[in-house]
Amino acid sequence: MTQILERPDAAELIEIARATVLDELLPALPETHRLAARMVANALGIAKRMLDVEGVRLAGLEARAAAVVGEGEEPWRALCALIRSGAADPGCERHDTVAGLLADLARLRCETSAPKTLAGG
Amino acid sequence: MHEGCRERLRTWLARAAGEESLAILSAERLSGGAIQQNWGLVVRRDDGAEERWVLRTDNPATLEVSHGRTQEFALLRAAHAAGVSVPEPLFACDDAGVIGAPFLVMRRVEGIASAHRVVKWDDVGGGRERAARAMGRELARIHRIRPPREDLAFLGEPPGDPCHAFCEAQERALDAAAPHPILEWGLRHLRRTAPPPVPAVLCHNDFRTGNILWTERGLAAVLDWEFAAWGDPHADLGWLCARCWRFGNLAMEAGGVGPRTGLYAGYVEGGGDPPDPTRVAWWELAAHLRWATIALAQGERHLSGREPSLELALTPHIVPELEWHIVRDVAARERTGEAVA
Repeated sequence: MTQILERPDAAELIEIARATVLDELLPALPETHRLAARMVANALGIAKRMLDVEGVRLAGLEARAAAVVGEGEEPWRALCALIRSGAADPGCERHDTVAGLLADLARLRCETSAPKTLAGG
Repeated sequence: MHEGCRERLRTWLARAAGEESLAILSAERLSGGAIQQNWGLVVRRDDGAEERWVLRTDNPATLEVSHGRTQEFALLRAAHAAGVSVPEPLFACDDAGVIGAPFLVMRRVEGIASAHRVVKWDDVGGGRERAARAMGRELARIHRIRPPREDLAFLGEPPGDPCHAFCEAQERALDAAAPHPILEWGLRHLRRTAPPPVPAVLCHNDFRTGNILWTERGLAAVLDWEFAAWGDPHADLGWLCARCWRFGNLAMEAGGVGPRTGLYAGYVEGGGDPPDPTRVAWWELAAHLRWATIALAQGERHLSGREPSLELALTPHIVPELEWHIVRDVAARERTGEAVA
């Protein structure tokens, strides 16, 4: 991110906002509002991790999808259609490539939305 | 509930109960229910007896696949008559003019439903084995309700092939969402490995921890009938046992509550056919896919601007975890030959 914008940057602000919700607000809240506070902290955590995803990783996965389905504007949508058609079923040439791509995609999506899942195996 | 609304409700209830001076002593919003609103009512009947009821009505936006309140009332009546442990259904009102939306009223049953409490509670329902058996018996009773049923005509024709019908419905759900190739991967696997058709029975379709009320003595009530439909009885067993509905207590395969063997034993005790583990495994994978597409639909309620809500906004972020297990489950099933059509 360009240094001409002031710091703390978006990720840093989200991080301290989340810590404030958890460490200062949550203990002071009545039970009726604690779930909402935990949801706020959860949302901020996901947002921070989404900001942290390196564009090059996303682009790399998308390029792999495009390589499977051929040239087109929407490789993920085309990949969905290809899977549904049966062209990546076991025994098909593209099966292992697609399976590997989806395993990596699943990992990246969990890293942002559900990192505890990865820790749990 | 504001005063005018409460008085209209009182008048309606008094007429429905045939008790002119029936009084609402209190009305409080109960927790839970992303799709429905539940209100706890304390009423005094004409003979002076106080009773505790629950009024169930719709939130502003509801999932298209869920039934309306009068239909849920018919399902509750059918289940009650079949001996299923449900709150006794009392009244249904399809006039939105009374409180703003159709509603049903049922007798309140005491117990604990909170999934995170229930899965940590070793004495749930008299102990985990007893609890698992109790769930099996309830499911067997539900599954004895079979088509055709005039009172349940709104459920439509039973599917000739419930697994095929499930896959079709999931395809439509995925077509309505942004691309999700991992969910497509899971769906394709399910299509390829679908077991042969079985005669359809009534499935609760959301029979899981969180929708069952427990006491330390036993299973008190099965709640939330809004997704009930004709289908493969194994769908309910798979939904309950799916990893995503064990709330972290993975060793207790029946909903994080009790052992799977107890569930199956209870199912047979209740008059059900012995469950087919292969079919249940198929429906457990299907459960992950279905929960994912429901989560996407709930997120859409927020994204559409119809119902801005942090809870709804967070729900689609459950999908990547479900996808993680779908990828691993499909790979494991392919390795063991389940993928062979």
